[in-house]
Amino acid sequence: MTTINALVLYGYGLNCDMETAYALELAGAKPQRVHINSVIDESVVLDNFQIMVFVGGFSWGDDHGAGVIQAVRMKTNGGDRIIDFVEKGNLVLGICNGFQTLVNIGLLPGIDHDYRSRSVALTFNDCGNFRDDWVHLNINPKSPCAFTRGMDRIDLPVRHGEGKFIAGKEIYGHLSENHQIVCRYAMPDGTPASGKFPFNPNGSLDDIAGICDSTGRVFGLMPHPEAFNHPTNHPHWTRIKEKIRRGYMPSDESPQTGIRIFQNAVTFFS
Amino acid sequence: MSHRLEITLKPDLLDAEGEGIRKKAARYFGIHIDKVRTIHIVTIDAAISREQLEIVRTEIFTNPVTQESSADPLPMDFDWCIWVGFRPGVRDNPGSTAAEAIEDVLGIKFKAQEAVYTSRRYCLTGRDLSESDVKTVAYELLANDIIQQVRIYAQYQWNQKEGTGIIIPKVRLDHIPTVALIHMDSDQELKQVSDQRNLALNLNDIPVIRSYFQNPENMRLRRQIGLNAPTDVELEYISQARSDHCNHNTFRGLFRYTDISTRKTEIINNLFKTYIEKPTLELQKKKDWVVSVLWDNAGVGRFDDNHYYVITGETHNSPSNMEAYGGAITGIVGVYRDPLGTGRGSRLIMGSYGFCTGHREYHGELKPKLHPRRLLDGVIEGVRDGGNKSGIPTTFGQVIFHPGYMGKCLVYVTALGLMPATAAGEPSDIKTTSPGELIVMCGGRVGKDGIHGVTASSETFSEHTPAGHVQIGDPYTQKKMHDFLNEARDEGLIRFITDNGGGGLSSSVGESARYSNGCRVWLEKVPLKYEGLDQWEIWVSESQERMTVSVHPRDIGRFMALSKKHAVESTVIGEFTDSGKLQITYDGKTCAYIDMDFLQSGFPQWEFDCEWLPPEKRGLYEPVISEPKNYNLLLLELMGRPNICSKEWITRQYDHEVQGGSVIKPLAGVDRDINSDAAVIRPVLPSSRGIVFSQAMLPMYSVIDAYHMTTCTIDEAVRRMVAVGADPDHIGGVDNFCWPNIAYDHEHNPDGKFKAAQLVRSCKAMAEMCLSYGIPLMSGKDSMYVDGHLLGPFGETRKISALESLQFSAVGVIDNIEKCVSLDVKFPGDRLYLLGLTRNELGGSEYYERLGYIGIKVPEVDPDMFFPLYHALHKSIRQNLPASVHGIYRGGLAVHLAMKAMAGNIGISIDLDKVPVDREMRNDKKLFSESAGRFLVSVAPPDCGRFERLLEGLPYACIGEVIEEPTLKVTSGKYGAVISLSVSDLKTSWKKPFGGMA
Repeated sequence: MTTINALVLYGYGLNCDMETAYALELAGAKPQRVHINSVIDESVVLDNFQIMVFVGGFSWGDDHGAGVIQAVRMKTNGGDRIIDFVEKGNLVLGICNGFQTLVNIGLLPGIDHDYRSRSVALTFNDCGNFRDDWVHLNINPKSPCAFTRGMDRIDLPVRHGEGKFIAGKEIYGHLSENHQIVCRYAMPDGTPASGKFPFNPNGSLDDIAGICDSTGRVFGLMPHPEAFNHPTNHPHWTRIKEKIRRGYMPSDESPQTGIRIFQNAVTFFS
Repeated sequence: MSHRLEITLKPDLLDAEGEGIRKKAARYFGIHIDKVRTIHIVTIDAAISREQLEIVRTEIFTNPVTQESSADPLPMDFDWCIWVGFRPGVRDNPGSTAAEAIEDVLGIKFKAQEAVYTSRRYCLTGRDLSESDVKTVAYELLANDIIQQVRIYAQYQWNQKEGTGIIIPKVRLDHIPTVALIHMDSDQELKQVSDQRNLALNLNDIPVIRSYFQNPENMRLRRQIGLNAPTDVELEYISQARSDHCNHNTFRGLFRYTDISTRKTEIINNLFKTYIEKPTLELQKKKDWVVSVLWDNAGVGRFDDNHYYVITGETHNSPSNMEAYGGAITGIVGVYRDPLGTGRGSRLIMGSYGFCTGHREYHGELKPKLHPRRLLDGVIEGVRDGGNKSGIPTTFGQVIFHPGYMGKCLVYVTALGLMPATAAGEPSDIKTTSPGELIVMCGGRVGKDGIHGVTASSETFSEHTPAGHVQIGDPYTQKKMHDFLNEARDEGLIRFITDNGGGGLSSSVGESARYSNGCRVWLEKVPLKYEGLDQWEIWVSESQERMTVSVHPRDIGRFMALSKKHAVESTVIGEFTDSGKLQITYDGKTCAYIDMDFLQSGFPQWEFDCEWLPPEKRGLYEPVISEPKNYNLLLLELMGRPNICSKEWITRQYDHEVQGGSVIKPLAGVDRDINSDAAVIRPVLPSSRGIVFSQAMLPMYSVIDAYHMTTCTIDEAVRRMVAVGADPDHIGGVDNFCWPNIAYDHEHNPDGKFKAAQLVRSCKAMAEMCLSYGIPLMSGKDSMYVDGHLLGPFGETRKISALESLQFSAVGVIDNIEKCVSLDVKFPGDRLYLLGLTRNELGGSEYYERLGYIGIKVPEVDPDMFFPLYHALHKSIRQNLPASVHGIYRGGLAVHLAMKAMAGNIGISIDLDKVPVDREMRNDKKLFSESAGRFLVSVAPPDCGRFERLLEGLPYACIGEVIEEPTLKVTSGKYGAVISLSVSDLKTSWKKPFGGMA
């Protein structure tokens, strides 16, 4: 099997680079943490990679809208290279601050290869605060998203203050029709959260937690798949362990971890 | 040319910030506002063109989907408008990042005097709003006049064309840096200098300082390098180094302790050496996992063969009391620099908090600088931004309300780091400076920040006077520096590293230079935020986010290149020598020349008289209460008391998942809403080992005896760890003492001798506990002046002293995280065990407090009885026997049965008669006694035999079982049902006080 090289951005206040690199490694990729400045000054070139991840954190302190300055910085100093990277058939993933950045660059929603328009936004949570909690996600089986193939549900943590997805009617209609809405916040029983707090933690339009571009190769989501990299990350793991130990539950029914999303990215190239 | 941009959300979008302000105004002050809309203002004080401004406006500051903006004041309807901006010199983090972004987009570089400032305009709609309402909102909710300026406009006063005008809070000092010579011909004269300059020199130190400068040999050497009279740089340096904060004079003092009831007197020479250093050194010999203690910025323990963990704890009380947000964020970001400056530097992996304030709903007549509610809000937000923006999980925290914290709040912050055992082939816990190595200052720049701490706050403000003595931490700048320094360590570029905290360069360079025995500092090289600082100010400024690093000259090129890659400013400011002297020059002229060993020699020890009066001699007694008849009502009430009830709204604001290693989270159970006993993280992701961490605080027991307060606090911290699966043989401790002033003064501190005795008793108890539980003290700090003078209604001030408070942190290593246990009961039919003895120990309890009593029978710790139980429980956890474990803490058995049931969302039924007791006692005492050493454990029936065998000979009993019906049922033979409450009613009461706060 050929090696799948994954570029994980770090620096300038990003902070999920280590665990994202670890998640990629578990998924079988060869991750490399690369400083934003090394991409900008081209001391590291994108040509050597198949996957590029914009990770979570507080880039530039996020004082002027989350992901805004990172987006400006990347667009001014390498925007075309990133678009080339996508057009060559590679994958881009944006998690939390990375999702916010992709949206501000315009890589998302990336309708019909338009990777420059800012037409959707992630803004302040309705609850008015940063919030850390676990959420249930329903995954849209019809989505072209390369990262979520074969998945229907997953539990993941959210940790953000600006995760409320908004879009105008027209754009929303397009995203919905073309199945670019990849995952939505759900109730514990799998029914839609329908805006209900805290299941929809931020007031997102249509419970949207993540979207992809038209090709399905650019994916952004607010929840953190890399933070569910081990069974003990799940908030109910001690209960699950006890159920399995007593034979109340087969061990292969344990919740799927977020690594699956990275595995999908790796197998996309095989 | 200066420009202003106004930015706001599109009118159809919810303004969550404005909505939060509207709700708080209603909830806190009963002020009804119809609507609040927020406008963000970016003021650019730089030479850019109109066209450039337009690029900046559209590219950076306006999101086309959500925002609208204008270079002129935005037309927004309001009845009142409040503008809030920073005072000059206050750290404006958004302003700095805005400048970075503008430079990048325009491809320009700002000149030294150019900058970007941010401020906000709040548009309030509400027909009935009065000017005084608006002032209340402005000053009690939106702005703190210590760091911010406010302008208020009524609708009719507003000029739509001008708006607020362009306000530029630039610091202008118009001052030429000058070294002043200090005359100290008499002790009296030096005392006057100390008073005038706010140096707070100890009277006993004054003759020592004078004789040093008058020593003929010293005078001769000084003349050789062109120095005569002592300079202000030198005196400031000495006073910093001799301060209690830096030198811990109190803990190193001499204590004459007398028990008034027995007339027995004891002398304790140096609390630190006697009660902290000695037991820790003794334990270090027995515990091979102790890597480095008692000398560095934090303690170091072994995590595995290749990694060490690092731990320390701090407080940031006085600054938080003045400016809650700024004080708290500076505190947490500051404590994170300690592990970063331990050994050759570690990566930060975890933080925790402890907040102590007056009651949130305080309606009394005293007027603290900040109402406890506002203070707590600010502190919560400060630690939130400091932790979250540093990318460090905040996995544990506690809040305690007590009127004693009205005088001064407590803000405890704790930090853990992880370092590789070796860096570039050398042990990373060891470091030293050597002659010829370069002194490099990394991170932020130097301004007038924090000079002389809060003493400067009484100065009057002018329009361009820096108000930087109250600081605002900058986690963004520090995170960049953190990533940079970790990489520099891995490349072997760091010979020595320490942080700039209290005392600034004065203390960091002064301490680093002890290893090489001398240094030369070129003070003019230090990068400044603005011109006009005197030399002594540069030397002692406490500007944040700075580290001092020793770099070998051969490595300096690579070090600087790496610094540049990370966009971190680093500057060579001097070199280490072996001259035996600390020498500072400014533009080539020496302005300080002090012997390195001067501060270690000849200064007199502080002395304290301590008088202990046992509680029974102080008029404490057990209250006379008949047995309550309505236990249901009583328990529901206790569940909702401020020190028991849910504080989920705080926990959820803190990122506790970042770094991807969360194992036992701060909130657990079916609905993820009940507080865990302790936190467990997996800091090395591929490893199944974990770090377990807990903290405890029980200041209420100090009212009876700080000795037992201390033993119970340490026992609780240990039990919390053991409850989730920690090995009792690997426990490291961190002590953080916060004490009211212990120096007796017949007028100003009449009970100082008693408070001093309490400190001695507390330290003694700590030493005894550490030896019996085998806890080396990895790190610790003390904050000794937790008193405040509050304004009363008659123009008087009243002194309020905090309870004698100790936060104890415990840390350990778990070799297999999959063995960890949570507190929630899991399956009906499981048996419920109570481990440990319940005794008639309700002194200082929540129950007595509710009924208006203190009592006298405070819980006591019996290590010989408790510790074997902890070992047995640990063994059972290793064999996967308990399905859930939870300690019994504040509130007693009833409260913690409720916690277990609420976490499992199913019922528990127990027979109170089966509770193991040392002697027969009433049901209320069994239910609400706070006896230490106890756990509640649920076990699956098939495992009960093995579980019981492990506990043979120890005090325990099966007291009931887990039941399907979600109800807490407590019965007692002759009484029948004592408590019967549904889990949802319990939860409702427990969540009610702070339930509406997202």
